[in-house]
Amino acid sequence: MNTEKRLRHIIKEGIIDSFYIWKEELRNVFRDEGVLIFFFLVPLIYPVLYALIYNNEVVREAKMVVVDQSDSYLSREFTRRVNATPDVQVVAVCADMAEAKKMLDEKKAYGILLFPSEFSKDLHTGKQAKVSLYCDMSSLLFYKAFLLSATEVSLELGKEITARNNPASTDELQQIILNPIPYESVVMFNSQSGFASFLVPAILILVIQQTLILGIGMLGGTARERNRFHSLVPVNRRYSGTLRIVFGKSLAYIILYTVVCLWALAIVPRLFSLPQAGNPWDVMLFILPYLFACIFLSMTLSGFMTTRESPMLVFVFTSLILLFLSGVSWPMHSIPPFWRAFGYLFPSTPGIQGFIRINSTGATLSEVANEYRLLWIQVGFYFVTAFIIYRYQIIRSQKRLGIQCQYLKDKRSGGGNNKS
Amino acid sequence: MTPESKKRGVWNIIKREVRLFGSHPIYIFCMLGAPLVSIIFFLTLMGQGLPVDLPIAVVDLDNSATSRSLIRQLNAFEQTEVVMITMSFTEAREELQKGTVYGIFHIPKDFSKQTTTGKQPTVSFYTNSSYLIAGSLLFRDMKTIAVLAGASVGLQQGTAEGSTKDQLMAQLQPIALDTHLLGNPWLNYSVYLNNSLLPGILQLMIFLITVFSIGSEIKYGTSRQWLQMGNYSLAVSLLGKLIPHTMVFTTVGFMYCAAMYGFNAFPLNSGWLPMLAAMFLLVVSSQAVGVFMISTLPTLRLGLSFASLFGMLAFSVVGFSYPVLDMHPAIQALANLFPLRYYFLIYIDQALNGRELYYSWIQYVGLTVFLILPFLMGKNLKVALMHFKYVP
Repeated sequence: MNTEKRLRHIIKEGIIDSFYIWKEELRNVFRDEGVLIFFFLVPLIYPVLYALIYNNEVVREAKMVVVDQSDSYLSREFTRRVNATPDVQVVAVCADMAEAKKMLDEKKAYGILLFPSEFSKDLHTGKQAKVSLYCDMSSLLFYKAFLLSATEVSLELGKEITARNNPASTDELQQIILNPIPYESVVMFNSQSGFASFLVPAILILVIQQTLILGIGMLGGTARERNRFHSLVPVNRRYSGTLRIVFGKSLAYIILYTVVCLWALAIVPRLFSLPQAGNPWDVMLFILPYLFACIFLSMTLSGFMTTRESPMLVFVFTSLILLFLSGVSWPMHSIPPFWRAFGYLFPSTPGIQGFIRINSTGATLSEVANEYRLLWIQVGFYFVTAFIIYRYQIIRSQKRLGIQCQYLKDKRSGGGNNKS
Repeated sequence: MTPESKKRGVWNIIKREVRLFGSHPIYIFCMLGAPLVSIIFFLTLMGQGLPVDLPIAVVDLDNSATSRSLIRQLNAFEQTEVVMITMSFTEAREELQKGTVYGIFHIPKDFSKQTTTGKQPTVSFYTNSSYLIAGSLLFRDMKTIAVLAGASVGLQQGTAEGSTKDQLMAQLQPIALDTHLLGNPWLNYSVYLNNSLLPGILQLMIFLITVFSIGSEIKYGTSRQWLQMGNYSLAVSLLGKLIPHTMVFTTVGFMYCAAMYGFNAFPLNSGWLPMLAAMFLLVVSSQAVGVFMISTLPTLRLGLSFASLFGMLAFSVVGFSYPVLDMHPAIQALANLFPLRYYFLIYIDQALNGRELYYSWIQYVGLTVFLILPFLMGKNLKVALMHFKYVP
């Protein structure tokens, strides 16, 4: 009877204290402009900025020069067709390679198409003719634009020439000779192979984790600077229960980040017409453990921050490494095993993998089950570590408080054993 | 102030700064630890140059000797690995969404029968371009196989009619395209990305550490003492404070060059000097930008926030993944505010393409121009150092 009463009292007190801590933490966030920058300004502006940077999605009209030593109808036709593709623009026809190379040096063009003098003759005499493509490798996207356009034109023009040289009895037969096995290619989910559609969703997810680490780290560092005994938790009766602290604080962060996620994951993709193939419920259910895992990870890390500025010095550069670890640009299957294992320590890795599949390829929650499970495991693991960190800090500050009390008592009780 | 006392001031502040390095491990972490972790990470991550053995699924509805030989050929490509052969397209698509494969190659029913009887069976392939690099590499391999498959059938029919192989190739593919990738003929991604990512990380850390070292003086109320050691001359004080940083960061930058161009034999068509000079200028110009940041926002936390956000933006704006020329004009203008942009252009012209120095001098000048920045806001900084009271 008595224990039941006590238990009920503890729970009631715990809930009240949790909400007190929740309120205090929200106040801390809104009083601190440094934290506000990372919690709101960055998630607000970065997605827009990145969407703007990559907004054109693909390279159009990459500049190319032509060196036409053949100067024939066919080489001119080839040039005309390359120029007509949306990706490439022929800016000049040069007399020789030296002149063309000079245009590359001066950045007036990024690729050279060279027709040798025997180009037309070879084609007419039934030999295979060669066209050479030289690409400046300053940007892979230029190279891709040149290669795809030139390949397309060479195949197409080649077919027409073969058809003219080998007239067949019927059109149908002609087609079979020219093209015994036709093929079709389908680029799925990001049909124009756009850069924004590929990279921005990953960045959106990463920004959530990194701003949480920075913001919560900053709050932790500030607390350490300001509190008595440089402890993470203030000396206050209401902050005496570890669970209360962890619940109260994480509740504050999760409420703030619900708003942030709504903006970054629902509104920004709509504004910039980024892929949004996923079921909104699946996205929400997937983001929930992601947010909790990020928050508990951040709370754990914040225990190691002794000043409010250290998170920026320590964590900012990791964003780049985490982006590559997530397997969105460098494919997961090619990441060395050690780094792959290391990547799974951070919520961003399963978070980005799963989110891209749900959001861009329309996968369901069961198709990202591995990532989903891993995120919940991380939630559990980092909850425990956060708990330990706060528990340790409470014990530490209580011990210090005890020592100080003892010291003051000794001092008051008489000067004899006074240690200076 | 005599030149002699100036020299002494600089020297004393240098000694003070080196002592600070020793007593604050964060300096060691940011100046040596973070750059070291980054270079080890990126060089080992992309050690193979190109991703290899990207998994794909094959939907083989034909299941004949011809289709199996096609699958074997596809598997023989370095970038492609067939991890799944199935009869059901739905199953393959599910694997694509689970992320276990990046592409699907589809061979229709009666494929071999139709090719021999002269009907045109269509092969199709699908790539997941949510993963851009994996998608494009697989697209290339699967397209090659599709074209080759057609060619080999044509070859078989042709040799049956008695033409020579050369004649046939000319018939099947009258125009061949041979591609030369200038400077990076292996299409090595490690060369492509590390040459800009690593200097970018260095730039970021320089921004942060420069802002941190000056901002800390304000925060902990030691700025007057620091200025006093330089006889209240901002130039002397800054010089003394930043010279040790310059030395450490330049060493790190040169080590980066040694690791890339020496140890990993990345293309260096210009010789060492132009790149080492560019690296040195990248270090000092980034320091100048750092001084400018803390002068404009003379509180540690705001200065550091500025440095973090600006430093991270560099990786996207400088244009090594997506070309600057295809960005919005406002973003193009923004790109010019990063020392890394000039460094990147120098790298393209010098190390990658081995062009005349004539084409790069303007970028070297561009990097040097950043050194004016500290003078523009010097007054602001000095006021902050003398009178600013830190509000947490």
